[in-house]
Amino acid sequence: MPAQVNPNTQRVHTDYIQTVAATGRLSSNNPNLQNIPIRTERGRQVRKAFVPRNNDHVLVAADYSQIELRIIAALSNETAMMEAFNNGEDIHATTAAKVFQVALDDVTREQRSHAKTVNFGIMYGVSAFGLSNQTNLTRSESKELIEAYYKTYPKLKAYMSAQVDFARENGFVQTVLGRRRYLKDINSANAIVRGAAERNAVNAPIQGSAADIIKIAMINIYKKLNDGNYKTKMLLQVHDELVFDVPKNELDIISKLIKHEMENAFKLDVPLDVELGVGDNWLEAH
Amino acid sequence: MDSNKKLFLLDAFALIFRGYYALIKNPRITSKGMDVSAIMGFTNSLLDVIRREKPDYLAVAFDKGGSHARTEIFPEYKANRNETPEAIEIAVPYIQKILKAMHIPIIEQLGVEADDLIGTLAKQAEKEGFQTYMVTPDKDYAQLVSENIFMYRPARMGNGIEIWGVDEVKKKFEIEHPEQVIDYLGMMGDAVDNIPGLAGVGDKTAKKFIAAYGSMEGLLENLNELKGKMKEKVTANAELGLLSKQLATIKIDCDVTFNAEAYKLSAPDAEKVTTLFEELEFRRMKDQFFKLFDADGNPATPETVKPSQVRTKSTAGAGQFSLFDAGDDQSNASKTTSRQTIDSTTHHYQTVQTSGLGFKLFLQNLTAQTSVCFDTETTSLDPLVAELVGIAFSWEKTNGFYVPFPEDRQEANTLIQQLLPFFESENIEKIGQNLKYDIKVLDKYGVTVKGPLFDTMIAHYLINPDMRHNMDILAETYLNYTPVSITELIGKKGKNQLSMRQVPVEKQTEYAVEDADITLQLAAHFTPELKEANTMELFNTIEIPLVKVLSAMEIEGINLDKAFLNSLSSELSQDITKLENNIYEQAGETFNIGSPKQLGIVLFEKMKLVDKPKKQKPDNIPRLKMYYPTLPRTIKLLPIF
Repeated sequence: MPAQVNPNTQRVHTDYIQTVAATGRLSSNNPNLQNIPIRTERGRQVRKAFVPRNNDHVLVAADYSQIELRIIAALSNETAMMEAFNNGEDIHATTAAKVFQVALDDVTREQRSHAKTVNFGIMYGVSAFGLSNQTNLTRSESKELIEAYYKTYPKLKAYMSAQVDFARENGFVQTVLGRRRYLKDINSANAIVRGAAERNAVNAPIQGSAADIIKIAMINIYKKLNDGNYKTKMLLQVHDELVFDVPKNELDIISKLIKHEMENAFKLDVPLDVELGVGDNWLEAH
Repeated sequence: MDSNKKLFLLDAFALIFRGYYALIKNPRITSKGMDVSAIMGFTNSLLDVIRREKPDYLAVAFDKGGSHARTEIFPEYKANRNETPEAIEIAVPYIQKILKAMHIPIIEQLGVEADDLIGTLAKQAEKEGFQTYMVTPDKDYAQLVSENIFMYRPARMGNGIEIWGVDEVKKKFEIEHPEQVIDYLGMMGDAVDNIPGLAGVGDKTAKKFIAAYGSMEGLLENLNELKGKMKEKVTANAELGLLSKQLATIKIDCDVTFNAEAYKLSAPDAEKVTTLFEELEFRRMKDQFFKLFDADGNPATPETVKPSQVRTKSTAGAGQFSLFDAGDDQSNASKTTSRQTIDSTTHHYQTVQTSGLGFKLFLQNLTAQTSVCFDTETTSLDPLVAELVGIAFSWEKTNGFYVPFPEDRQEANTLIQQLLPFFESENIEKIGQNLKYDIKVLDKYGVTVKGPLFDTMIAHYLINPDMRHNMDILAETYLNYTPVSITELIGKKGKNQLSMRQVPVEKQTEYAVEDADITLQLAAHFTPELKEANTMELFNTIEIPLVKVLSAMEIEGINLDKAFLNSLSSELSQDITKLENNIYEQAGETFNIGSPKQLGIVLFEKMKLVDKPKKQKPDNIPRLKMYYPTLPRTIKLLPIF
């Protein structure tokens, strides 16, 4: 990465590619921000290297929390899940309480962690086999867990089937803004090939809608920053996160502006939630 | 008899399936939505064999309607197979068309499998003094290997090709004669073909039995020497064992006759092949194909097959051009293609004089338009260091203008000022391919591109997200037109490559205006398609405005703490060394951790982390992680490479 510093500006100028990821997400090159690991120590260290332009500035990182899960909750109209989001509950704990049929206060750490794994895995079509690899559950325990999950959130299951049916009929699926993904293998007679297309039928609209939403936010924020003649600059976009270089005297107003624009980029029947961090490097802000 | 006559027999379906599954995660889809992975995989293998080995004789065998002989004795044979994927069913007629165009014989017979056909032909050819190479990844063929019959396993995933002769087969299967492969397969069974085998007998036991008794029959005659459970099982399954052996035996007495004359590789029908490759959108393959014809100057010695003999020109039929002696046919590709090019199209591309009345008139005309396609020519692919060499404009099909830019920055700045009324006009629509690049280049000259934008690359991304979007491909696909290639203009990548600045201005004009012209035509083509897919709004309200947002972010860049990064780099490399040493210690040897193959051997064969690894692929690693706490250290290292 040090080699990618531009000799004239002494800064690193990532190149975004708008046309590579078929889901609608952006990708980036030189450096590729997507493959900086999020949770590992090394990833943390690399983030630490990204700093504001000088001491009068700070970095602000704004991250959509659980955006994909919120999208699937809203699109499937799964009331139980929407309620949890509307009440600002811890969605994984709530899910655990429902799935394992215990009181919210009695949810153990382990139960919450299992619920979290299923919550995130479900839209990627996780199987009992996959779940048992990611957790300490056996394959039959995993199977039971997935079944209990679908029972807890029956509309989610119905939505997923409806997406697959839609794809079978139309040959494509689409996002909230009508971005299409064509799935020509959806009617394949080969089970492996068809299975992959079916998982995409569920996943592509979710990931693609998340991409749509952050793109709207970027366009609106960019316009607001220009119109307001702010000195703040939007610098990076990675996953569900935006990073800004903010003069300290603009910090309060800009923080509000960013949060407002991101949370209101698109109207879903569940609230969008943005976590905002401030720091002297990307790791601190993240 | 000439002992160097080489015959190559290809097992079509084995290669087709292999090609298809190799690309399953990222299949090749044409603009018409056809999955061509299987066709590409097979054709690649075929051209690769021809390129490397320069075979004298070659034929391709296809399965047709299963194996009547085998299902007759065992109805369950291959009964567990999934339906053949459509992409493969579609592939077969195309592959046969390609083979016919290349004048390569197709061998097939209803109810007979390819391995039986190949087995029979190989044995016949052996008698006539041929060296036969059976091209297939399927290990079952090992039973046919002899002094003059070899298995040729094509290259795959970075591993080179493998050639199995008698010694290799003996070593792999730990046997005395290649025919004992049949006993081995019979004992082991084969889940893929649904051959039952002997219950409870795996790789090790099968090898042990063959070492002790020589064959399936030998084993069954000596059942009294076995003990306990194994004795029971083998005794009970004796008949199934014999049946399995029969199923695993490749036939060498099919009703086919080896005909050397017919299998001789001859000059293909280049025009037909070209038409097919174009239909399938095999651009690179077409280039490779014509490179094969081009080998006259430097006929490469076959890399692997020995004994080898370089073909001489005299083998070509008089007056007829042979596959490898085509001579000067650099122009073959364009001669035989059905696509339009700059030479076959009437066009009017003008260089604009940047002073005087002519330039004034050009500017008047330019700013009177409502929609114009433009394209910058520069000195670098990196827009942040690129200097302007010229700008092409087109607003009418097959017509356009080129404004060359002086190298002197001051003069360039003066010139661009005169173009500001165009670039900053809010009313004139600007069309381009990958406009973000042009916007970033122009920004360095103080130009802000305003007004509506139409980016053909992004339009196509919304129309067909899974396809590639570069202009040459789009032009060939949608306009049936092959643009002038950049390498024709400035040469191949490397230190001898010219800068656009060094190209004569007339050539710059032809190249650059063609790009603008083609992009203009593509935009006209994509507009109704965007409407049809209902994505016009997404295009105009999200993706297009985002181009300007991303340009600004990229131009802005971000500050890096360089001192910290440098210390991190050296820390990281120390860490890596430590991890590597730790891994070598556990493995008991040093090896190339970056090679999945070597890692596989260490993990599964040496350390025996899993008894029967199905495949040595990284997918197995997460499952292993739970049982082998040391493993994460290896895994942590993997993404760094």
